Amino acid sequence: MIRRGGLAWLFVGVALAQNLDYRQDMNWRAPESAAARANPLAGKSDFVAGGAKLFQRHCAECHGPTGTGLKKAANLTLPDVQTQTDGVLFWKMTNGNPVHGMPTFSRLPELQRWQLVLYLRTLKP
Amino acid sequence: MFRLLGLLIFLALLAAPLPAQESPYFVTYSHYLEEPGNLEVATSSTLGVPRAGDRFFIAPYMELEYGVTARWTTELYLEGQSTTGDSTIFTGWRWENRYRPLQREHRINPILYFEYESINEGSRIRKEIAGNAPEVGEPNSELRQTHAHELEAKLILSSTVHDWNLAENFIVEKNVSAGEGFEFGYAFGAYRPLASIASGRNCRFCRENFSAGAEFYGGLGSTNGFGLHNTAHYFAPVIAWQLSDNATFRFSPSLGLTHQSNPVLLRFGYSYEIRAFRDKVARLFGGRP
Repeated sequence: MIRRGGLAWLFVGVALAQNLDYRQDMNWRAPESAAARANPLAGKSDFVAGGAKLFQRHCAECHGPTGTGLKKAANLTLPDVQTQTDGVLFWKMTNGNPVHGMPTFSRLPELQRWQLVLYLRTLKP
Repeated sequence: MFRLLGLLIFLALLAAPLPAQESPYFVTYSHYLEEPGNLEVATSSTLGVPRAGDRFFIAPYMELEYGVTARWTTELYLEGQSTTGDSTIFTGWRWENRYRPLQREHRINPILYFEYESINEGSRIRKEIAGNAPEVGEPNSELRQTHAHELEAKLILSSTVHDWNLAENFIVEKNVSAGEGFEFGYAFGAYRPLASIASGRNCRFCRENFSAGAEFYGGLGSTNGFGLHNTAHYFAPVIAWQLSDNATFRFSPSLGLTHQSNPVLLRFGYSYEIRAFRDKVARLFGGRP
């Protein structure tokens, strides 16, 4: 009985672990070569709708449906984010920041990640 | 227990429709972990087509996969087995953990995998192939009497090359209930989504909802006899179809490559992703999500 109780508490503990509040990570910086990359879809507004769909699927849960941020993730409409280059945003999406709860999205095809960058540029505060 | 399972399934059906991005692999693991706070409920089955004189079996299993952090995924399995002309038995449970030691994406991304298995000899889900091929023919009533406590470790190496995932798994397994030595196995896989661009509309049959590839896996003997002698090996095309925003269906016909393999293992699975599961649980207990 004790062993079963212990196992149940272990699962509850695991389930509730790591409820982090968002804090900006000043050390999360893309290398210069990545920052300089241009979005191959830049200016192709046809692909924004696909980016919006991907955003709702993969990002809205933490960043909010309009990108204005929730407790655990950044407000993507702020100048701090919007002044970053397309290459930086792409790099951050690709690599994530696992220590601070941002998963990697390298499993998405490269062009879909660029579609997300395209959509991020349309977000307004 | 059945009430708990019923509750979980009910919660899964009620969950808001949000997407899953499932790999089509059944055996191979990639470096893509569950997103933190999400719970994936999956049910899969392995249908074994026997050689002449043996019997068909089907081994269903249920998975509860949870993203504890962005670097740690934990998973609980419950499994059973049914053999034609014999009986249906519960074959045990497994608890696996995958940990990502490196923070950034690299050309090759390692994942450390540890699993504890409390199963009996009737287990047939073939989630991994390690050691030598098991002898078949004993009835379930005898197989269920032989319990095994096994520890398993894997080194998962995985890469993203353009839109392809390439994954290599190296397996070592130890049955601590018996003096079988350490058993070894491998699994390799490659897959890619069938479309690189997401369309703006919601569609069920778009190419972007499908991913396809292949797995190649088998046993490598044990410390009592390392090598390919008396081992099972399989080649398996794999396909995944994202049925809805949060549900995925996977299918794989595995083809046995040696006399010790089943000629065919048909695998199929359905998974449902509950996004922000941790937040939902926290709200139930009055916590802030």
